[in-house]
Amino acid sequence: MIVRFLAVVAAALVLAGPAAAACAHPRTSLAYLEGQVMCPTCHTTLDQSDSAAAHQIEVFISQKIAACWTAQRIESALVANYGPQILAAPPRKGFDLLAWWLPIAGVLAGALVLAAGVWRWSRREPEPPEPADSGLDEETERRLDDLLARFD
Amino acid sequence: MTARLKVTAQALALAGVAGLLALLVWKLTHQQHAPAVGAAAPVFTLHRLDGAGKVSLASLRGRPVVLNFWASWCEPCKSEAAVLERDWTRYHGRGVVFLGIDYHDLAPDARSFVRHHALTFPMLEDGSGQVTGSYGISQVPETYVLSRQGRVVAHLSGPITDPGFAGRFRSALARAAAA
Repeated sequence: MIVRFLAVVAAALVLAGPAAAACAHPRTSLAYLEGQVMCPTCHTTLDQSDSAAAHQIEVFISQKIAACWTAQRIESALVANYGPQILAAPPRKGFDLLAWWLPIAGVLAGALVLAAGVWRWSRREPEPPEPADSGLDEETERRLDDLLARFD
Repeated sequence: MTARLKVTAQALALAGVAGLLALLVWKLTHQQHAPAVGAAAPVFTLHRLDGAGKVSLASLRGRPVVLNFWASWCEPCKSEAAVLERDWTRYHGRGVVFLGIDYHDLAPDARSFVRHHALTFPMLEDGSGQVTGSYGISQVPETYVLSRQGRVVAHLSGPITDPGFAGRFRSALARAAAA
């Protein structure tokens, strides 16, 4: 692991020196691209992988950063070699757009359902209390009223 | 109104669960496995690594084929490269075709690997990994020996220089060439 890290750093330093002066735009970083690019054999991003295939791509990225390539250009080169699945995030076009919009649509739909539920609950009128039931039939109740009237 | 809303919500939830179940079933039924010995090898057409056209497995029907999956970053692939080249020179006169299929590799590195090891059999690139997936490749090197009818005679998951595989590879090669 340490040897691999040192090899990548050494490659970056060796190649970065001569090219640094010629770079006309802010240089991208290996750390940034390691989070954007997948390891093709282990299906994690490069920063979470310790495989030989990931190491090869890290060396490639370091060389291209040293040669002043932008992050977009490096990603395009990797896509041309491995296909779009090499990128951690799907492309923002065509069918792949669904991967971007569906979660947003899901969150919006959930928020709408929640808001509708809260609104309905807050507008609900309190139900009138049910009349107390004495549990007596009408005849008994009438006789009880008569008896009580005598004491009044 | 409330009852209708409730039924609609329940129907939507059920549809969601059914959709997820369908997705699970689809994923399970479409999982790629290594073709078994005796099964037909998945056909493919791939670009040559040196850019000189394409090679189709179907066009090689009638000839025994050795498919070797490798990558320039793979250490055991380096040790078996010389053995493969030697066997290729020995068997190609008897009609056996060797094809190297580069697995999840950077094409420039793969080309320098071929040059460095002086490999002369055709090398193909499978950038997207679709073909390696159809052969159930999860590590390299792996080697398949196919009969003249395009069926799997042997599948070796490891370097053919491995003591356990060397004998199996030779006998499979001899069987495929003789059949």
